[in-house]
Amino acid sequence: MANTKKYWKGIDELNETKSFQESKESEFSQSNSIESFLADDQLSESSTGRRDFLKFLGFSVAAATVAACEAPVIKAVPYVMKPENVTPGMPTWYASTYYDGASYASILVKTREARPIFIKGNKHFGITKGSVTPPIIASVLGVYDSERIKNPLKAGKKSSWAAVDKEISSAIRNGNKVALISSTVISPSTLSAISELGSAVKGEFEHIQYDAISYSAMRNANELNFGKPFIPSYDFSKAKTIVSINADFLSTWLMPTEFAAQYGETRNPESDGGWMSKHFQFESVMSVAGSNADYRTMTKPSEEEAVLKYILDGLRGRSGTIPSSLKKSADLAIKSLQENGKESLVVCGTNNTGLQQLANEINEHNGANGTTIDLYNELQMFQSEEAKLMNCVKGISSGKYDVVLFYNSNPVYSFPKDELKKALKSKKVKVSVSLNSHADETGALCTYNCPDHHGLESWADYQPKSNHYAIAQPTIRPLHNTADALESFLVWSGKAERGGKDSTVAYDKIKETFSNISGADFKMVMHNSCVDLPQSMIEDSVTFNSVGYAAMPKKPSGTEVIMYQKSAIGSGIHANNPWLHELPDPITKVTWDNYITMNPVEMRKAGYKTTYDQENGLSMAKVTVNGVSVTLPIYPLPGQATGTVGIALGYGRGGNGEKIGKSAYQTAEYGGYAVSKNGKPASIGANVFPMISTDNDEFYYSNSGKLSNVAGEYIIAATQIHHTVMGRHSIVRETTKEIFDSKGKEAYNPAHTLQTLDDDLNHVEKPVSEFDIWDAHPVENVGHRWGMSIDLSSCIGCSNCLVACQSENNVPVVGKDEVRRGREMHWLRIDRYFASDEEAAVGTKKNKDSFSYDQAEIAALNPKVVHMPMMCQHCNHAPCETVCPVAATTHSNEGLNQMTYNRCIGTRYCSNNCPYKVRRFNWFNYPSYKKFTEINPAQDDLGRMVLNPDVTVRSRGVMEKCSFCVQRIQATKLKSKIDKVPVEDGEFSTACADVCPTNAIVVGDWNDVNSKIRKSSENKRSYQALEEVGIRPNVWYKVKVRNEQNNLLSKLQVEKKSHHGSNNKHH
Amino acid sequence: MKITNTQRVKGIGSVLTGLLLLAFISLSPSYHSQGEALFKAKCATCHAVFQNGTGPKLYGAVERWEAEGEGELIYEWVQNNAKLRGSGKSKRAAAVFAEYKGSVMTVFADLTNEQIGSIFEWVDSQDPNASAGGNTQAGLENGSSEEEEGGLPWTWIILGVMFVIIIMAVSGVRRQLKIATKESGDSTDSLTYVEEFKTWAWKYRLYVGLVTLVLVLSLIVGLFKVLYSINVMENYQPSQPIAFPHDVHAGINGIDCKYCHNSVTKSKSAGIPSVNVCMNCHKKINGEGKEFKGEIDKIYTAAGWDPTRGPAGEYTGKTSPIVWNKVHNLPDHVYFNHSQHVVVGGLDCKQCHGDMAKMKETAKVQPHGELNKIQENIDSKIEFTKPTLTMGWCIECHGQSGVDIAGSDNAYYDEIHNRLKKNDYSLLNSYNDDGKVTVKELGGWECSKCHY
Repeated sequence: MANTKKYWKGIDELNETKSFQESKESEFSQSNSIESFLADDQLSESSTGRRDFLKFLGFSVAAATVAACEAPVIKAVPYVMKPENVTPGMPTWYASTYYDGASYASILVKTREARPIFIKGNKHFGITKGSVTPPIIASVLGVYDSERIKNPLKAGKKSSWAAVDKEISSAIRNGNKVALISSTVISPSTLSAISELGSAVKGEFEHIQYDAISYSAMRNANELNFGKPFIPSYDFSKAKTIVSINADFLSTWLMPTEFAAQYGETRNPESDGGWMSKHFQFESVMSVAGSNADYRTMTKPSEEEAVLKYILDGLRGRSGTIPSSLKKSADLAIKSLQENGKESLVVCGTNNTGLQQLANEINEHNGANGTTIDLYNELQMFQSEEAKLMNCVKGISSGKYDVVLFYNSNPVYSFPKDELKKALKSKKVKVSVSLNSHADETGALCTYNCPDHHGLESWADYQPKSNHYAIAQPTIRPLHNTADALESFLVWSGKAERGGKDSTVAYDKIKETFSNISGADFKMVMHNSCVDLPQSMIEDSVTFNSVGYAAMPKKPSGTEVIMYQKSAIGSGIHANNPWLHELPDPITKVTWDNYITMNPVEMRKAGYKTTYDQENGLSMAKVTVNGVSVTLPIYPLPGQATGTVGIALGYGRGGNGEKIGKSAYQTAEYGGYAVSKNGKPASIGANVFPMISTDNDEFYYSNSGKLSNVAGEYIIAATQIHHTVMGRHSIVRETTKEIFDSKGKEAYNPAHTLQTLDDDLNHVEKPVSEFDIWDAHPVENVGHRWGMSIDLSSCIGCSNCLVACQSENNVPVVGKDEVRRGREMHWLRIDRYFASDEEAAVGTKKNKDSFSYDQAEIAALNPKVVHMPMMCQHCNHAPCETVCPVAATTHSNEGLNQMTYNRCIGTRYCSNNCPYKVRRFNWFNYPSYKKFTEINPAQDDLGRMVLNPDVTVRSRGVMEKCSFCVQRIQATKLKSKIDKVPVEDGEFSTACADVCPTNAIVVGDWNDVNSKIRKSSENKRSYQALEEVGIRPNVWYKVKVRNEQNNLLSKLQVEKKSHHGSNNKHH
Repeated sequence: MKITNTQRVKGIGSVLTGLLLLAFISLSPSYHSQGEALFKAKCATCHAVFQNGTGPKLYGAVERWEAEGEGELIYEWVQNNAKLRGSGKSKRAAAVFAEYKGSVMTVFADLTNEQIGSIFEWVDSQDPNASAGGNTQAGLENGSSEEEEGGLPWTWIILGVMFVIIIMAVSGVRRQLKIATKESGDSTDSLTYVEEFKTWAWKYRLYVGLVTLVLVLSLIVGLFKVLYSINVMENYQPSQPIAFPHDVHAGINGIDCKYCHNSVTKSKSAGIPSVNVCMNCHKKINGEGKEFKGEIDKIYTAAGWDPTRGPAGEYTGKTSPIVWNKVHNLPDHVYFNHSQHVVVGGLDCKQCHGDMAKMKETAKVQPHGELNKIQENIDSKIEFTKPTLTMGWCIECHGQSGVDIAGSDNAYYDEIHNRLKKNDYSLLNSYNDDGKVTVKELGGWECSKCHY
């Protein structure tokens, strides 16, 4: 079709006139050549000389400039009828709930003039205690996605609700076999609507729940052990010993929104109980949880069975067999589990019933059921049934189904087999309906698209756990002609009428459901967003039965390939979100890409490149599994189990040019999309769902495969290309719980000292704080002094802070090519440091005499990791301020390092002089330059509605950096002034501190002597990064404490007895 | 002798440059006298020079009063007309009052006799047959004054052209004389204008240099003045879809500003009233039979109100928002919060917006001179020298206005005061050395207070 189409630039071309034919021959027009122009004798006789020409030009430009300075008339359109709860210029917050089929959280949504602009966790209500994940924070952008389907579609053409409803509803009611394929539905109201739909069907109706990431093995194992398929509630906050087998419970496994906060509680070495959890992680790909573990052991998927069995045997007092590389940490884990007994938790993230049974056995043996595991509060999420779906797909392929509906599910992309795709393509189903918001891989193949509202536009209720009920309320009127899926189900079953944009169908249904479930006041529940249901919801008591193990994972042949999830992209639901693509992966720091992870030690042996930079890429490799092969760059990831490679799921979306969102594709260097071989925009990375093993109808996310070399290099964009901190303990400090408990501050957190002469001309050492070349700003103890402290012990590197900062401060998205050049604009970065073999811990030197920086640069085979959030430190003696030629960056009397965009002329001296490298330069006008059209939401008429109106959108040529969310400081102060009260501690919070699941970031007024920040800064673990430079930052870090045995570190960290430090305060 | 093309172009160029220079120099707005300034500030809202408006024309007013033998009473009349009428000593006063159907004139107790004299002096010095400008209602004049300031004043152009013509004429005469001498004499060298000018300039290089220096300096000063006036919104008064009279609402009816601009105490923006606020009163006040009925009908269209429906009118549900032209517009990189100033700072609206109760026409950005006359500003010793809505204007006020941190009933400031007292008494003393703690001293001049 496309080949027969003819495009022409003008009538001449269309008619192929003679002059057109002639001019076509020559690329440059001949009639006006430069040679003939210059050869013109008359030229020098021309009355207008070059200088005169320039003079006129200059004058006219100046005149035009002056004339153009007239300001345009700006319109102001007030409401006709102002809603009572909207005050223009003031935010309105709504308590709501987030659920996308994969993650769940109680959230607070900030709206301005009825537009949601910021999402954070609800710290006061709900099971998630204020925890969120990067995709949840970034989901606010999704509502403004201009590629959402805006109207109901029939065969890809715009239709009307009345028309599609009539046809779909008659097809459903007359259907002999109807299937609804959805992700797990945890909404009681939607479930009730679905059952209404089922009863309207003439023939057979099936509702199949299918999640891209399956946890069916847990349910199956529990069915064997406890007699019913369920997932219990885990409580990490009570676990003194945590053993995790391949479960990244801090970012992707099960309920990270719940677990991260619980885990954070156990990571405080100064907690009231005096204990700190001991965390063992056995995994192959370095995960967020693994990077926080006290003991991380590289474990191949095929070794997991051995580890679990060995631990179980050890606990039962028998000796088992285990590969020698795992023995040491497995023994330690056994010891720790024995010590803590029921106050321990063993979790396994592998979707294999046999392994889950082993984990159950261990927990039962320890007595964890009842303490860290609550068997009576069941998780309602993840009810995926692969077997049912595989059966259904077979039925669809053989044409048995009349109607298939897809709701919040994209199996054409995520189902490992391509039978479903083929069946839909060849129209094996008469009527296929997609309720997805986009014409995605599944939606594009369906007859009807009946787009659901975005989560922020609709009413919804959820029952994430058996004793918890939550409500999601709309924060914006539906932007497009979409309809709530709940309403669609009811309309198609003949139980309701369409209500348009102001429909109350869903609301009424939810109110009805609620009155059946709980007697609480609906308005109050709506205000809190959730309510706990009485425990009586669970009737029977469950008891553990030891039964024979189900099939264990198959023994591998060849390289073990692990399909894992990254914290930002997950299973690919948000693969069109530019914030998430640009979010550096917490471990690899790579943006905008999918890659094969492999241990650098192995890579060096195999001859792959292990270093890269902005000009030099990484080697390419091909991985073949199940007859499916993908070619991707191969990334050196320290800590990756040898003999394995990892590839992230969730990439390679929209490969056939489906409209899944502007930012879901690779962009070309100067705007537009990179084009793949099929002529469609090239998707980012590759889809590895087809590599999942489906043996025994169980999705097992690793498989045996083959790794082969491919010629060529691939440039990747990473925000941190070096791996280690190279022994600089003035940046990162860490110690062990043992040292922390037994030794003084001098051992693990010594003050920096310099030598000087005292009055008697003796050499003495004095703290750095006593040396000053600048006068202090009058900020100490006077007025406010805003400060921040970051506890490296509880920082888990989840990167919530980074996305929240981007959302709050209108930080532009710059795309892969700019990130590659080191021009990412994030105000906050998280430095991830690996330890090298030269170090006893990150930031130490094992042996000062033999220490080699060259060797220290190379991360260890299985290194320890430190995550360190780094943003403007708001130095009281800021080096950036002294070098600005135009005083665009100055110090405020509240201790802030102010950045004034309208004064900045872009010399970048400040950035050059900043020891933390936290200043960012606007190389382009990101909100308008063509290079960023596809990826920067600010260039989209809808997308720019997400911008925070209280923060300037910066233009080209100015510096920017963390402002400590000064807009929030000002708002807090103003609120206090209006209320006539002093600023209350905790009232002011930055965006990053707002979303920190472990409360590692504390902010406040340092001059308030009772404030948390003041106390935190005076803690014996507190230090300041690069303190010896003497620039007096307003940010403190707290020494990372690991609950491990580290004899080498104990030897290094000793108290100096003869230290001559004066405690006299300066001035 | 031959004048080439190039030279002619250069000649025209220099003339243009001269004109441009003159234009630049003359750009700064200046009133001819104190009288004119006072007239524009105090009288022009009601009185025109040559036409009767809300009040009688002022041209010849002194003569008219003198004709009735009450020449001296006119000063009292201007200062406090009601008092004069009440005293009953002036027949003329009663007559004027009757003629203008009982319109009360504003009290100008602050005007001295000399000032009033200067106003009449200026008014009477105007030529009744001259420009139309003087004949228009003064308010309209205000509206167009911005354009006038920005354009080239014709008097200067004419003067400039005359100056050039004179110079050319003189040099032409000189030239003719020279040619005549040459013809009579034996000199063979014939110099072009340019060569001659060069010789002349070299001869008087000191003066030429000085003049050039002055010209260049004035050019630079002028240029800066022009650049500084860019985007200065003083006197900006865009047209509005509805001719809303602030004087009727805030002045005659005495409606509090905060009734309509009700988010002023809560939010950063004062808020343009939504139509439902208008309808609170205008459901009843429909302007039936008045000349402004058309304007009120516009509100009805916007609100979707049909007064003919039902016994007392009904909403039709068809609304159309009113698209106003924004008057007070700050650049996007400026954060300004109304509630901070009105609630915390306790400012009166008129301290920045002028007295809207007297604003007959649509709203405008009041010139800072006008704001200096606001009593509240005088009382708190705030004097603006920079144009309204410029950054200079903002920080000028921040530098002058005091914050009562010691004696306020605001616990927020108590805490700030206590911290100062406790930890740095000398700093507090240095703040207090001028008798007050200014906004500036508490950080009101810092960039991040308004720019982020």
